Amino acid sequence: MIPSQALTIAARVIQQLIRDRRTMILIVVVPLVVMTLIGLSFPESTVLDYIAPALLATMALFFSFLLTGISFLRERSQGTMERLMASPVSRLDIVVGYLLGFFIFALLQTLIVVLFTIYVLDVHYYGDLWQIFIFQIVIITAAVNLGIFISTFARNEFQMVQFIPLIIFPQVFLCGVIWPVEQMPNYLQWLSKILPLTYGVDGLRDIMLAGQSLLDVGFELAVLVGFAVVISIVAAITLRRSAAS
Amino acid sequence: MVKRRLARLAVEVNKASFSYNNLKAIDELSLKVPNSISFGLLGPNGAGKTTLIRLLVGLLKPKSGSVRILGQTPSRKTAHLIGYMPQLHSLYAELSVIQNVDFFARIYQLSDKHQRAQHVEEAIKLVDLWQRRKDSVLRLSGGMKQRVSLACAIVHNPPLLFLDEPTVGLDPELRVTFWEHFTNLTRQGVTIIISSHTMDDAAHCDRLAFMRDGKVIAQGTPLELQQATGKPSATLEDAFLYFIHREDRSDS
Repeated sequence: MIPSQALTIAARVIQQLIRDRRTMILIVVVPLVVMTLIGLSFPESTVLDYIAPALLATMALFFSFLLTGISFLRERSQGTMERLMASPVSRLDIVVGYLLGFFIFALLQTLIVVLFTIYVLDVHYYGDLWQIFIFQIVIITAAVNLGIFISTFARNEFQMVQFIPLIIFPQVFLCGVIWPVEQMPNYLQWLSKILPLTYGVDGLRDIMLAGQSLLDVGFELAVLVGFAVVISIVAAITLRRSAAS
Repeated sequence: MVKRRLARLAVEVNKASFSYNNLKAIDELSLKVPNSISFGLLGPNGAGKTTLIRLLVGLLKPKSGSVRILGQTPSRKTAHLIGYMPQLHSLYAELSVIQNVDFFARIYQLSDKHQRAQHVEEAIKLVDLWQRRKDSVLRLSGGMKQRVSLACAIVHNPPLLFLDEPTVGLDPELRVTFWEHFTNLTRQGVTIIISSHTMDDAAHCDRLAFMRDGKVIAQGTPLELQQATGKPSATLEDAFLYFIHREDRSDS
């Protein structure tokens, strides 16, 4: 059951973003511009078909991570986190509240990007559209939690931005987005096994390219859900330390 | 504001210490604050005022010694008994005045819609911002933001208020208005702990603690502290300097 305080926080996050119209527009427009440029850069549609699932997984991870990470950090830099931590809400309420609030926007973003990729960039796929969305939702959940967790280590926006090359870039190169993991040296293949995007890319490719179902990619789904749960608990634990610093 | 049954002391600190890494911010500090008064923590920047308030609201835990508010150790269970106004404005800039105050009313579990609306209206009217209730906080002046911040701290009618430098950046007229609010609140039974480094604030407090290097170097009513200097015309500033010099002499 979701505690009411988490819903209060989620409602406030949504209210805040809706009132910030420029951010709302950017949330929708930026991923579309990026996908269009990437789509146009592939002359062969078969290559784009192959890379599209990995790109969708990467976009979901990147934008959800960034949006949540920066917003959560702002909560601390503007002092409202200190106020929340001195109130009766629990740390888990705060993390779950943020997760729910940002999840709505990340979901909206993903819906638009997936539909744009399929219908405008004309990427071919085999699996069910609803199964693609469900899988993306799991990636978003993991990414939102990752954003919350990483932001507890940053003291300001500059530091948060420095985490992007550390958290996102290696995953793009090590998780099979550009070339298959099997072609990498053994030790990097091991490293890829602990990175969530590996499971996001594998699962989404299996659904979109091989027409598999969510049951078939159950292992990848379970790993991503497990990652999201563990990282949200760790984020809640690290929250007090970071709010007080 | 509803009067509640409270412990005899609003705040009781017993030989509490706290350090940030190797920097000692609070050094075996002891303090007792009775109920229903305004109590000023006075001292220069770095004296440990904010750290003490953070210990009292439960954001930090003392490394040694003990801290109690209303007879209990600060925790999530005591959080609804306190109102906290941090040094920063600590508001959601994109939200309106009423949305900010309503959010904190919900956070403090004022779940009845009608009752919450009443509390929110009272708090905003108290800080004289009802006409601006629909404006984004972003569009308000510094002094108005301070007032919204105060409204957020008092919306759930807590018996104990911690205000960290609430009058910083306020013009003299607004400062007077703030102090009228504070005096009204103490008359209604609320205990207010205020940190400040201005003697103007000090003069308004019922009792004061002069702080320096994480310690309380003197405490009493403003008059008692002035009289301790032995000079009939001594101001609170003179009194503060008197205790600092006395502390320096005893150290050397």
